[in-house]
Amino acid sequence: MPDSYLVHVAGAMRSYYKDFSKYAKGREPSQKVAWVTSFTPIEILDALDIEYIYPESYAAVIAASGLEQPLLEESTRQFLSCDCCSYSCCFEGCVETGKGPRGVPPRPDVLIATNNQCNTLPGWWNILAKRYNVPLIVLDYPGEFTEDPIARAYVLKQHKDFVARMEELSGNKLDENELTKRVENSINSVAAWKRVAACLKEREVPPTLLFDNINFLITARCKEETALIYNLMADEIETYPECDKSLTPLFWIGYPLWYHKDRYLTEVMDGFRVCGSNYITWWNLDYEGDTVWDKLFSAYNNTFLNLSQKTKTERLSALIAASGAKCAVTCRNKSCKCDYVSAKNVGIPQAELEVDMIDREYMDVERAGKLMAILKETIG
Amino acid sequence: MSGFVPEQIADTVRFTGFDGSERLSHYCGYAADFISQVREDSTIDGAVFPKSCDSSRSIGSYIDDTGKFIYSMPVPAVKNEGAVAYFAEIIKDYKSKIEQHFGVSISEEDIKARDAVISGRNAQIASAYAKLDGLSYASYIREVHASLSSPYEFNESRINSGNDGKPVFLIGSFLAGVELADSIEKAGLKVVADNMPESGRLASRAGFESSESDIYMKIASEILCTRPSPTQDLFDETIKSDIAELRGKGCKGVIFATQKYCEPYDYLFSVYKKALDDQGIPVLQVQMADSTDGSGKAAVLEAFADII
Repeated sequence: MPDSYLVHVAGAMRSYYKDFSKYAKGREPSQKVAWVTSFTPIEILDALDIEYIYPESYAAVIAASGLEQPLLEESTRQFLSCDCCSYSCCFEGCVETGKGPRGVPPRPDVLIATNNQCNTLPGWWNILAKRYNVPLIVLDYPGEFTEDPIARAYVLKQHKDFVARMEELSGNKLDENELTKRVENSINSVAAWKRVAACLKEREVPPTLLFDNINFLITARCKEETALIYNLMADEIETYPECDKSLTPLFWIGYPLWYHKDRYLTEVMDGFRVCGSNYITWWNLDYEGDTVWDKLFSAYNNTFLNLSQKTKTERLSALIAASGAKCAVTCRNKSCKCDYVSAKNVGIPQAELEVDMIDREYMDVERAGKLMAILKETIG
Repeated sequence: MSGFVPEQIADTVRFTGFDGSERLSHYCGYAADFISQVREDSTIDGAVFPKSCDSSRSIGSYIDDTGKFIYSMPVPAVKNEGAVAYFAEIIKDYKSKIEQHFGVSISEEDIKARDAVISGRNAQIASAYAKLDGLSYASYIREVHASLSSPYEFNESRINSGNDGKPVFLIGSFLAGVELADSIEKAGLKVVADNMPESGRLASRAGFESSESDIYMKIASEILCTRPSPTQDLFDETIKSDIAELRGKGCKGVIFATQKYCEPYDYLFSVYKKALDDQGIPVLQVQMADSTDGSGKAAVLEAFADII
């Protein structure tokens, strides 16, 4: 019987959630626990045997489980404005009430935030730091806004300081060979994921499959089994039938709608097929460089949302061109100020939809339907 | 635009409100109005703004086609030695980009001379700030705003004396809608201390002694190491120092003035409010729709005055 990626997915999920309260049942984690943002250099933590948990991902899981509304309401009772990122509002409600589909994550020993995707995350991590009274480490990535030698030296110093603090926390000494191995795993994971993502253009692959399974590239990119999962997945979906070319190819710009059963608006997209998405490329980090430290700098300083508008436009345009899309849905996401503007000047007709990736009550679906009808008319 | 932009390098017009025409939902009013003004006002030659929050880091994307000088300043999100050295390099880069764009030369002597003027202005602001219990805050803040552009003169004698009122502490982002200060006074309240970027935070720079001989390091350390902005991710430090100051000055309550969609202050508020509640200090959140919204808060301010 051929090896199925689903077996490995189940194992990876068990491993990630083992210390959440629903499964731990009062047992303390065996490792130190860091709560991290989704572009944290987790290769360093993994090499030091520190467990890392992603509050953003868990907010997505909560919404996908249909549990976000009472938790969003709870966050406003905690004086958190509903204008803030709904990942943070949803998660705040979860940790305040102790309610979540898998319980609550294990208590953090340290909080690590980065600003290479947005500046909201460090703000959110500040309120977590007050709640748990544990150290907060902010890793500052200048991105493309600072010229290389200055940014490289600044980030290198922060990475070295970060290692020292994590060595102290974990009681372990960093073995650079182990770090190099994790970085190589990440490179392999990215390469395997690209094989999976490439299938969206040609094969009958539901975008839902990609929106859901990119999770491992976010939460476990430096684990050896992640590349295995993605290569097995690619082997399987490369055999799927060719997609229906009579449908209009559409590019999805923005986050998946985590609360939606399909993660995108299937109910207003008759006649369209999703042939590409920028979200599924965000963690295709480029570990370029000669040394492991150069590779970490390149990967985490130059994340998509940390690039200049010119570079973002070039990259997004290239992605759209490669996908063969004739039009796009652009999500004007209430929760992400930085992402929406990525879609400036991409050169194809777009329907701009007011959405939130967590809050199912935010969107006017009827209006979205009308905008999609206009888009259909526009492209003939 | 921001307290992170070094005034020592070039003349900047501090943004004080513009009725923006750009429809930019979910960005704070400052960002939307800043973008509108840079696009529409032909007397503006360039724009400099920090990469310090989600609204400000998106500004460049909306004005990069104007042909004007555009500089997005990647301000450190942390406060430590490495960040100061890095920020000093950024300030040098900013100077160099200005020189290239405008075809001018800015010497270290020019910067040091301007630094002396700015330090003098800050010292005068600090002096007035220490006497806020005897001054009209509305009049004071207008004088502060006038001193934020060339020739950077602050004259305490132009500030009106204050009326009696219940002493309060004010915290928030730049008070572009200065009418809020009038409304506070009309409600029978008196701001005797604040954590505003143009006031309490600027005043804290006057007392800062830098050991740096390099002018860029001096400017960088002064900006980063004095009273922090919420974007520097030091909420705990902010809350502790604010509570100590407002206690010391006998404040009976706190007015927390936020802009719609200003996340740094929204996140800060959620923990600030809890800390004040724990100490039994009343707090009123006043949310302004945009940078020109300074009025229309009379009823809530009067109610707050009654409560405290």
